Parts: sequence; structure tokens; C-alpha cells
Amino acid sequence: MDNDVVLWIVVATALAFDFTNGFHDTANAVATSISTRAMAPRVAVALAAILNFVGAFLSLQVAATIASGIVEADMITLAIVFAGLIGAIFWNLLTWYFGLPSSSSHALIGGVVGAAFAAEGPDAVIGEGIIEKVAIPAVMAPILAFVVAGVGILVTYRIVGRQRPSTVSRGYRLGQIITGSLFSLSHGTNDAQKTMGILFLALVANGNLSADDDIPTWVVVSAATAIALGTYVGGWRIIKTMGSRIIKMDPAQGFSAQGSGAAVILAASHAGFPLSTTHVISGGIMGAGAAKRVSAVRWGVAGNIVFAWVLTLPASALVGALTYLVVHLFGDGAAGPVVVSGVLLVALGIAMARRVFQGQTLTAEG
Amino acid sequence: MALASIDVGLLFEVVWASALAGAVVSTLFALVVLFGARSAEGRRAGRSTVAMVYGTAAVLSFTGFMGLVVYAVHLMLSKG
Repeated sequence: MDNDVVLWIVVATALAFDFTNGFHDTANAVATSISTRAMAPRVAVALAAILNFVGAFLSLQVAATIASGIVEADMITLAIVFAGLIGAIFWNLLTWYFGLPSSSSHALIGGVVGAAFAAEGPDAVIGEGIIEKVAIPAVMAPILAFVVAGVGILVTYRIVGRQRPSTVSRGYRLGQIITGSLFSLSHGTNDAQKTMGILFLALVANGNLSADDDIPTWVVVSAATAIALGTYVGGWRIIKTMGSRIIKMDPAQGFSAQGSGAAVILAASHAGFPLSTTHVISGGIMGAGAAKRVSAVRWGVAGNIVFAWVLTLPASALVGALTYLVVHLFGDGAAGPVVVSGVLLVALGIAMARRVFQGQTLTAEG
Repeated sequence: MALASIDVGLLFEVVWASALAGAVVSTLFALVVLFGARSAEGRRAGRSTVAMVYGTAAVLSFTGFMGLVVYAVHLMLSKG
């Protein structure tokens, strides 16, 4: 009975993470398209949501490999997964609040690493895995995208520079719809799988499934729905940062950031070296801006974003570890996850109520 | 010791494949826009042959670009 309660709390938390993953990463696909008016904001997020939903069904390569090669898989328990998810959700919400794009995958890895460290000590964490799968891709992705997008926009200006600006802009807005759609589809095939993997792992750990079973349809549908809903809600603060606060971009720059970004992500993924979509598109936007004029990039904003990337792993690890310790205080049963979830839901309710109340006050005064 | 485990060959492959793919995507779409614009200019000037040649070039460039997009989707679906 206790195990079932923990299982369903983990399922609900995983879907909540999936939702935050969706709205946090909406900006990756739509920010440049909205900024250059290639698409109306609501149309852009609706298209991104639909393609994320479709993408989740296209690739079902769900090995239950959460933080695989980074923490010792046989030491992972439901409590560690739960605490890791809380760490990741916390970081996603915090960075969203400040409008900073950051990697949801790295936040999830950080949360699980922190919880595993708190539960089992340093033996649970594979240092080489963190360097190889988190640190190097985190450094490489934005630099590579920066250079590729920079070269891309220079090639673009060289070829179309003497054409009428209105004609060029119209053409690149069309191109942005295609590359933005590619980004969304790619996001659905990648990120929804993480949640499916967590749900599958939880069901296997609880004895509901064996590791050889197919992934249940309800897992696929719920993960796809959660990420699509999150995408549709849209993390508008991050969209604003990526779309207009890093550089003021024209449609050719938006296309170059997205097109080069998609090329970098797929080439790297094909070579067996997955990179963060967020890091790539952010680096691409900066590269497309800097290639036109170095001072076109607001380096202060870019610096804040890089600072958030550096903090992602340690901050989510810290919250994951603290959550695990609190859960552990209540023993191995369901009490810990129930109390932590209850407290977080109440806190979330209060925050939303305050937001609604403040909105009403502003309306009344306005 | 951890750094020794990094496959430098793989990193190099990622860098050149990304750079090549990015350059090809940017060039192809720039050609679509360039040829499309020249085709439209030719039409406006009443030079139908020029318009048709540039129009055909634009369609071919766009076909190449869409070929890359389809290949990208194929890569997404076939990843292990």
C-alpha cells in the first residue's frame, strides 16, 4: 500500500516535471519566430505544443536510463527519483521566474545526483560521467552553436545582402516556421522520453512491470500530454529573454540561430553526443548577433544566462539532496513523499493565490 | 584521469559535422531567398525567361533544403 502511494506520487511529480520542462523550453523553438514576427505568439506556442505531442509518439527508445552513467543505476530508489525530480522542478521554476533559459536535462541529472549522493554517499556518483555527459557538452554546445550560427549569418548576408530587405525578411520568416517546427519535433522526441523513462523505471521498481515489458500506452500519452500542455502554456519570461533581450534580431538572424542550431543538435546527436537544446539555441542567438556586430549582443544578459548554466547542476543537486534528507527523516514509507508533496503544493497554492490577488489589486487600482 | 576518457575523435567529428551541416543549411536557404527574389524581379520586369530560370533555381534550392529537413526528421526517428 505504502509503495503504491510513493509510486503514484513519483508519477505525479514526474508529470509535473514534464510540464515544467515543456513551458521552460517553449522558448527554444518559438522565441526567435515570435521576435521576428514569423508567427503570432499564440500560433507559435500552439504549433510547438502539437509538434511536441507528436514527437513524443515518434520515438519510443525509452531505456530506463535516468542519469545513466552518472549515478550508479542499482542504487536508485523511488525516494531518490522523487527527490531528484523536486530538485529539477525547483530549478526550472526559479530560472523561469528570472527569465533565464537553462537545461531541464541538466537540472534533472543534478537533482538525481544530489539525492543519490545524500542517500548513498560519493560512491553513488560517477565523476567521469558528469564530466563527459554534462560538463563537456555544456561548454561545447553554446560555443559550437555560436560559431556555426555566426558563420551561417555571414554566409547569408553575403548571398542576400543586396536584395530588398522586405523580400529577404519574408523569405526568412517562412524558413523560421520550418526550422522552429523541426526544433519542436526534436524536443518532443527527446524530452518527453525522459519522463517516460522515469515513469517506466518507477513502475519496474514497484514491481508493476518487468524491465523487458513494453512501455504502457498511458505512460506515453500522459508524458506527451504533460509536455505539450507545458509548451502551450509557454514560459513567456524566457521567451522574452531569448527573443528580444539577448539581441534585437532580424528574420535572417532568427533563421540562422534556429537552422544552425538544429544542424548542430542533429549532427551531434547522430554522432552519439547529445547536446542541450537550450544551450545550442542560446549560443546560436548570440553568434548570429555577434557576427553582425559584437556590440549587438547584450553581454550582461548573456553573462546571466551562462551563470545560470554553471549553477544548474550544483543548485538542483543541493535541492535534490535536501529533499532526500527531509523525505528520509520520515522513514522509508510513504510519509516523507506525502509530506514534502503536500508542503510544496500548499506553497505553490499560496504563491498562485498571491499572484491572483495582486493582479486583482492592480486591476482595481488601474 | 576523467579527461582521459573523452573521445577526442568523436568531439572532432561533432565539430566538423555541425559546421558543415550549418553552412549547407544557411547557404541553401539563402539561395532560395536570392533566386526567389530575382525571379520576382524578372517577372515584374516582364522578362519571363529570366524569371523562369531563377524560379527553377529557387525550387531546386528549396528542394535541397527540404531534403535536409526530411533527413533531419529521419535522424530523429532512427536514433537509438
